Amino acid sequence: MAHAFILNGDEHELWLSHERGGYRLHVNALQLPVKLLPRGDDLHELIVHDDSHRVFIAQRGDEVHVHLDGETHSLRYVHSLSRFAGENKDEGEAVARAPMPGAVIAVSVEAGQQVQRGQPLMVIESMKMETTISAACDGTVQALHVSVGQTFDRDAVLVTLDRNGTA
Amino acid sequence: MQKNWPFQSVLIANRGEIASRIVRTVQRLGLRAVVVHHAVDAGTPAVRQADAAIEIHGATPVAAYLDGAQIIEAARGAGAGAIHPGYGFLSENAGFARACAQAGLVFVGPSPEVIDLMGDKVRARAFVAQGGFPVAPSAIEDDDPASFAERALAVGFPLLIKPAAGGGGKGMRVVREAAQLGAELERARSEGQRYFGDGRLYVERFVENPRHIEVQVLGDAHGHVVHLFERECSVQRRFQKIVEESPSPALTPEQRRDICATAAGIARRAGYANAGTVEFIFGGGDFYFLEMNTRLQVEHPVTEEVLGIDLVEQQLRVAAGEPLGFAQDDLQPRGHAIEFRLYAEDPARGYLPTTGPVLALHEPRGPGVRIDSGIAAGQEVTAAFDPMLAKLIASGATRTEAMATARRALSEYVLLGCKTNAGFLRRLLDHPAFAAGEIHTGFLDAHPEVAAEPPLAADTLHRLLATAALASRPVRDAADAVPALHAAMGAWRN
Repeated sequence: MAHAFILNGDEHELWLSHERGGYRLHVNALQLPVKLLPRGDDLHELIVHDDSHRVFIAQRGDEVHVHLDGETHSLRYVHSLSRFAGENKDEGEAVARAPMPGAVIAVSVEAGQQVQRGQPLMVIESMKMETTISAACDGTVQALHVSVGQTFDRDAVLVTLDRNGTA
Repeated sequence: MQKNWPFQSVLIANRGEIASRIVRTVQRLGLRAVVVHHAVDAGTPAVRQADAAIEIHGATPVAAYLDGAQIIEAARGAGAGAIHPGYGFLSENAGFARACAQAGLVFVGPSPEVIDLMGDKVRARAFVAQGGFPVAPSAIEDDDPASFAERALAVGFPLLIKPAAGGGGKGMRVVREAAQLGAELERARSEGQRYFGDGRLYVERFVENPRHIEVQVLGDAHGHVVHLFERECSVQRRFQKIVEESPSPALTPEQRRDICATAAGIARRAGYANAGTVEFIFGGGDFYFLEMNTRLQVEHPVTEEVLGIDLVEQQLRVAAGEPLGFAQDDLQPRGHAIEFRLYAEDPARGYLPTTGPVLALHEPRGPGVRIDSGIAAGQEVTAAFDPMLAKLIASGATRTEAMATARRALSEYVLLGCKTNAGFLRRLLDHPAFAAGEIHTGFLDAHPEVAAEPPLAADTLHRLLATAALASRPVRDAADAVPALHAAMGAWRN
């Protein structure tokens, strides 16, 4: 089974095998001899065929952050279990997530309340701008995950709706 | 040569890159630098450099830096004789300036009266117009609230709504059609109320695709005022500056002379003492007064680089009561300097702020490169503050030379763990219109390709995947678990 990394939202499958004096990268039907040599601190020398490239690498958990040719890229290793785990189909609409990091200015609903698609759930503030978070579907407010004044990161869950709560 | 300072110790009531930059000058002058910091900033460069650091508290980190009483208490406890407010936070708060004076502390800034005057955009504008200086057509709510909407319509479209108490782009709205005016006025009022506790508004004719040109001024307590030439800050997103340079590529020598003389005239009329900036809108060969910032500006380093003057040192000397050590004719700018603001944000996603840990940080060095940074490896970039991380200032004999230095330095700026706008800044630098100096405040809207992330070349993709694969434990372990021969067989089957 292949490994996979996510880069800019796209999943890329690859396989790495041992080769005398280094490794071989199998990707997109290509096989490339590759080597990574530490050069102190976060700096490494990446060798692909005979070409050498300076790369800075930093890792946290499954994230690999790479600086190459003046640009920074972030890749995430996808564990095989989560790759094939079923996705929660409902989550898209029934969960209101933060489009950007920010803070809660006002909450217009309470738990248990019935809401209709398009109804404002809360007002958030980010970058000095107010944005209204609205219900993407009809349902009942199952949980409010943030309160007024609280800050959150991008993609944080703000409100969950229960779609079964509607007739 | 070294004077007797009326204060031996300066407390810096700020954070990030500007706190660090002020600490440097304070210490170079032989004074003691004290910083205040919220717990989230304990690992920042300013806290490490300072001679003393005092933790301050607040309901939010920002609230701690806005708590004047707590900061004055800290200054007294640390034996500081002066407070430098930096920019933002308490820097344009006349009440804080007064409280400092009452506590026997020197506020490094102009008088509370001038802060009040320039902080009220409506009064400031009237003051400037009365002095015979140019202002844009406008309508002011306070003049007669009942007829405000009508007078706003008469200004003509497009127009810009601004909060009377505003600044820094907060609560500003462009209205292009009469039908939208009512709703946009209400929205701007609500934002003004929330940000400044003041819902009063004014509207101004919106100059389409204008350039933003500002002039650095410096006055002392003895009535001397000089200008330190202009900075152009036209490349902006959401009314906030991204790139600033001096000199402006747009001005003729005559226009430069006029705009700089106007700025100095406004400062002189205000009895301005300390460093300040007069901002103008420039379009079609005309310039209008926009506002005056009564503090050190984020982009002050470009002026420092072309003039060889330390503005923070000048601020401290003026605050200490010294007369200016130079006259207008002594000031001759040399070469060109450009500043790029490094933000934790994703230009391809509408410039949304990003967050994350600073896992690795390597800053460029070399001739013509200056980095004013507020971050260190190991720190966490959060949504608690403004997303500016650092400033890169590149200098050269010409604009072209400064741009070449900036291009190299930006590619050598390594920050891993939190997405920054460094790649975007390089694309901006490579844009032919930017290189030609054809910039205006709508530049990024007119050239959306600068913000878009270009597709990856196949070779780059393979290098990145190779790096990630070789750096990732599970991938290497899987490879190491299979001897070379079998691995080759595996590959055939794959």
